Amino acid sequence: MQPRRTSLALAGTALVVLAAAACSGGSTPKASGGSSPGASGSSGSSGGTSAPATYQTQHRGGTLHLVAKSAGGTLDPMVNYTLQYWQLYQATYDGLLAFTKRAGQASFTVVPDLAQSMPKVTDGGRTYTFTLRKGIRFSNGAPLTTDDVVASFKRIFTVSSPTAGTFYNGIVGAGACLKKPATCDLSQGVVGDRNAGTVTIHLTNPDPELPYKLAVPHASILPKSAPPKDAGTTPIPTTGPYKFASYDPNRALKLVRNPYFKQWSSDAQPEGYPDEIDETFGLTVESEVTAVENGQADWVFDPPPTDRLNEIGTKYAAQAHVNPLTAVWYLAMNTNLAPFDNLKARQAVNWAVDRNSVVRQYGGQNLAAPVCTMLPPGFPGHVDTCDYTKGGGSTWTAPDVAKARQLVQQSGTAGAKIGVVVTDDEVNKSIGEYVQSMLNSIGYRATLKPISGNIQFTYIQNTKNKVQISLTSWYQDYPAASDFLDVLLSCASFHPGSDSSINISGFCDRSVNAQMEQALRTERTSMSQANALWGKVDQAVMKQAPVAPLITPKLIDFTSKRVGNYQFSKQFYMLVSQLWVK
Amino acid sequence: MAMFIGRRAAAAVFVLFTISVLVFLIFFATPGVDPAARIAGRNADPATLMQVRHEFGLDRPIPIRYGLMMEHLFVQRDLTSFVNRGALVIPQILQAVPVTLSLVAGAAVIWMVLGLLMGTAAAARRGTALDPLMMLLGVVGVSIPVYWLGEVVNLLTQSRWHSGLFSWVPPLGYVGLSQSPGQWALHLLFPWLTLAALYAGIYARIVRGEILEALNEDYVRTARAKGLTERRILIRHALRCSLIPVVSLFGLDFGALVGGSALLTEVVFGLPGVGKLTFDSLQNLDLPVIMGCVMYAAFFVVLANAVVDVLYAALDPRVRRA
Amino acid sequence: MTSDTSIAVPAGSSARRRRSSAGPWRTALVTLRRDRVAMISLGIFLLVVLACLLAPVYEHSVAHTDAFTSNISGTTIVHGKPSPVLAPSSTGLGLGVTPIGPTWDLHHYFLGADGQGRDVMARLLFGGRNSLLIGGVSALIACGVATVLGVAAGYFGGVLDAVLSRLFDVVWAFPVYLLAISLSVVLLTSGLTVGPVHIEGDSLWLPILIIAVIYVPYVARPLRGQVLSLRGREFIQAGVGNGASDLRILRKDVLPNVMPTVLVFLPLMTALNMLTESALSFLSIGVQPPNASWGTIINDGLGLLYTRPMVTVAPGLMIAVTAVTLNLLGDGVRSALDPKARLRGAA
Repeated sequence: MQPRRTSLALAGTALVVLAAAACSGGSTPKASGGSSPGASGSSGSSGGTSAPATYQTQHRGGTLHLVAKSAGGTLDPMVNYTLQYWQLYQATYDGLLAFTKRAGQASFTVVPDLAQSMPKVTDGGRTYTFTLRKGIRFSNGAPLTTDDVVASFKRIFTVSSPTAGTFYNGIVGAGACLKKPATCDLSQGVVGDRNAGTVTIHLTNPDPELPYKLAVPHASILPKSAPPKDAGTTPIPTTGPYKFASYDPNRALKLVRNPYFKQWSSDAQPEGYPDEIDETFGLTVESEVTAVENGQADWVFDPPPTDRLNEIGTKYAAQAHVNPLTAVWYLAMNTNLAPFDNLKARQAVNWAVDRNSVVRQYGGQNLAAPVCTMLPPGFPGHVDTCDYTKGGGSTWTAPDVAKARQLVQQSGTAGAKIGVVVTDDEVNKSIGEYVQSMLNSIGYRATLKPISGNIQFTYIQNTKNKVQISLTSWYQDYPAASDFLDVLLSCASFHPGSDSSINISGFCDRSVNAQMEQALRTERTSMSQANALWGKVDQAVMKQAPVAPLITPKLIDFTSKRVGNYQFSKQFYMLVSQLWVK
Repeated sequence: MAMFIGRRAAAAVFVLFTISVLVFLIFFATPGVDPAARIAGRNADPATLMQVRHEFGLDRPIPIRYGLMMEHLFVQRDLTSFVNRGALVIPQILQAVPVTLSLVAGAAVIWMVLGLLMGTAAAARRGTALDPLMMLLGVVGVSIPVYWLGEVVNLLTQSRWHSGLFSWVPPLGYVGLSQSPGQWALHLLFPWLTLAALYAGIYARIVRGEILEALNEDYVRTARAKGLTERRILIRHALRCSLIPVVSLFGLDFGALVGGSALLTEVVFGLPGVGKLTFDSLQNLDLPVIMGCVMYAAFFVVLANAVVDVLYAALDPRVRRA
Repeated sequence: MTSDTSIAVPAGSSARRRRSSAGPWRTALVTLRRDRVAMISLGIFLLVVLACLLAPVYEHSVAHTDAFTSNISGTTIVHGKPSPVLAPSSTGLGLGVTPIGPTWDLHHYFLGADGQGRDVMARLLFGGRNSLLIGGVSALIACGVATVLGVAAGYFGGVLDAVLSRLFDVVWAFPVYLLAISLSVVLLTSGLTVGPVHIEGDSLWLPILIIAVIYVPYVARPLRGQVLSLRGREFIQAGVGNGASDLRILRKDVLPNVMPTVLVFLPLMTALNMLTESALSFLSIGVQPPNASWGTIINDGLGLLYTRPMVTVAPGLMIAVTAVTLNLLGDGVRSALDPKARLRGAA
């Protein structure tokens, strides 16, 4: 998944997972590799426990004020693909399953939400049977029935949900629905039994990652009366503790309590504390930070500007919460265009790039760590290896510019003109300037092309734009290695001439691809064996160097003085509904 | 005269039409701007991409898409944003207008008062140090980048001296006049001053020039001969006459600013006016909103120009033939 | 856009018949030379230009630095002790990295470093070259094109005038920043190809051309009006009556009368264009990094505004000072060339 924390984007979101449990008070094992254990800035209010907390009535009430630079687009949970709203959907919409809404490692675990229990899996992993909980009502008062579930799955296709073709294409009948949403018929794929209160999902092939996919907002269960098209700014009734009261993308979004909500599982959907949550749009990030410092707002969605970090880290240290993310920032090199169609040129970049410089540009070593592989440290399948570090070793220590220069000379690409395409926000442009400078130092003639954050991501994907090297990043959708390697670097993800070709390097290596397919097949039988295979895939990819992984970032949540009970879910970040303002 | 107005109106419509076509063409000439992939979402399946393309009419020929967009904007008035889907463009603009009006009107009052005072004072005290000093201040106002001034003002009022001198300054943003008139004025105070600083100087210079010119005119000499006091001559006669060109210039400026020219001030101070809306839509390459904003802004500029032209024509018949 | 009125149309230089003899020009020059404010402004302006021209000398021989290469992990000397150019925070949670501040030592980061660890002073000088170049060249182009189009529209009238006037209307009514932003986005990514000439996306010619195009109507419209009223004057009518060719009338009678207006516009336009360039760079669509202009440096500095305000303040002051001198110089030129204005001064 591609993050857009900094700019409003259709193409942005991020779910997060990481094994390095910075927030969980040391009770979980620390990850090997880059995430530094001392990085947890959570202090004071930080709720780090993994144990289910009992609801503390004395903290109930009040209004939580959130601020964001801009709105996150449509409010429809089946269409929106931004972290900004996915975070809010946690307290509003529910799927059949959900990621545990608790801090720390527990947030990776999928638990039953609208379903009574985890599904019964039969037919060799092709059939999932769910039993709905009884007595749940939508925020408009209508009771939740199996009809709503069936209609919701169909709606994923009728509204052309972004992941319809990538997450839910395995459901029987999905293929036709993708091509002709108007005549979508899922009656063979999702079957509801109103009397028994069960829903059965039939897949064409076993999919061990399905539970994850059912726990993300695109698989939210909405009332069957929900419009068969993107609902845009009109809120759709919810099942969770809050409902959306009003939404104006240029002003504010307001959540109020859902009067029909009664807590059914504190793990899947805990009761919220504030009576009202509002998110105001339109301020610059600088003034958002100032507003939180002055107690005028409670939390900033956007990452704080770099010149405010020091101040936040010292004067307001008690209000800052730093957590590692399972994400990677990397340089994608176009393997089909000169000079990076040459292996040595790609390797030279990997040797030359000083990841510590990039870390500094990002905000220092407590906000990012150097990486050497695509799978972030602590992620399933990650193995500490580093092919491109001075003097060798399993983790990255220093660049070897001399070696890089030598490789450039050997490759015969010295003097080539290179355009570095980055987004034009502060951090990305700054890293881009460094990369441009670095490419010049190893013998190329590089220029920087900063373009609007909103189009850069689609621009660099399209082979027609002839992008040679670009800076981009990926934040996981759910905790599985395939979400990085298969999604970003498989032949199937490369669509020449299309704006939607997530394999930005255009990397398609037959043997690596075969290894990926084998790992995917192995997932059906053993996740741990599969993860070992994914680790090998990761190394095989780095030998070919279609990408230069740079850093894995951390996230700062900056809250106001009055906020308590901060909890960080590795999957969906800060649990908004659990904050105390009383 | 009626024919002149008719011709002027036709020209205005032509200009608006050309601008809308230009915006449309520039937008689609921009590489990577095709909104389909952004609407469809990250890593969307090719089938989903095609579906979105079809649903939004992005697979139709450009002239038809232009026609459809204009129809939605002007006839059905239900054009919606590409980015914040479901958000209607026209209400967004209508909602932003009061903010821009508040900013511009307040700043205009300040700069007109300052401009008149400084200009008159400089004219009255010409020959003393006050005159060049006032005029220098005016030049400085014109020469400072407005966004830079705004950022520095923010640095001082929101951060550096916020705990001391400026502790009464509210956070950036806008509060409606009907919500709380006091807060409305307080939130807009520094934006007003910043924007006014840019214009006060220009107006002071023009007022000074006009007054000095007027003081040379026959009627002033007559007034002097009649033995009126210098002060009375200055204010009753010279200043009054010099107001005519000032007011017509003011009309043009006001029109342009209300049309969204206060973009930088609005962006720097986080005011959700038309300029900010335009800026945001450009950042997002949100064509429907860009189109709406450009049409709105161009309308004001064209209107102000046409009004001035017609007025001049009314005053000077020769222009009509030109 | 807030600067559309910052050029007040020069009080219509009275349409007397000017001969192309050196007489009036020489008088103007003498008057200008006697104008103390204008001369001081010119002096300061030339000083700024000179300083900027010496940028490479400062970079190599004084500061021993490279203004265009990132120096993220480097060190420098402060008070005789080595210290990092970009210092990671070591207190509290240790968040953020702060570039070195002004050392007031000409040899080591006089005005401090920017986010890339580059010497701000050196960049300020190099940036000035680009800002002045863009401002000056675009003003020249805008005034040149505007003179040709404005005079043609006013003199020939008819269809040509109608077409050109509508064209001016369109550019005039198209919001300045919008036009600039739209053009920049297209041009920055793909460059501009006109026939055999290709301009790269990071070329300085792009901002120059964009700004020049935007401001053509600002000069062309008043010129057209001026020529229109000249056209009716007896001396031109007489020329037409005598059977003089259009070219001759234009050269002998029209141009000498509009040239003062153009000359008055030139310094004012340069100042305005510099401000526009900085605003475009502020919106990150002007000069592209690592190249610098004052606007780009302000834009770089905004990310450091709260810790290292000097990066923003210094180029802002440079813009202000340069624009003030140009505006004052413009005033001087106006009063020197426009007898009416001189009368005012005497009144």
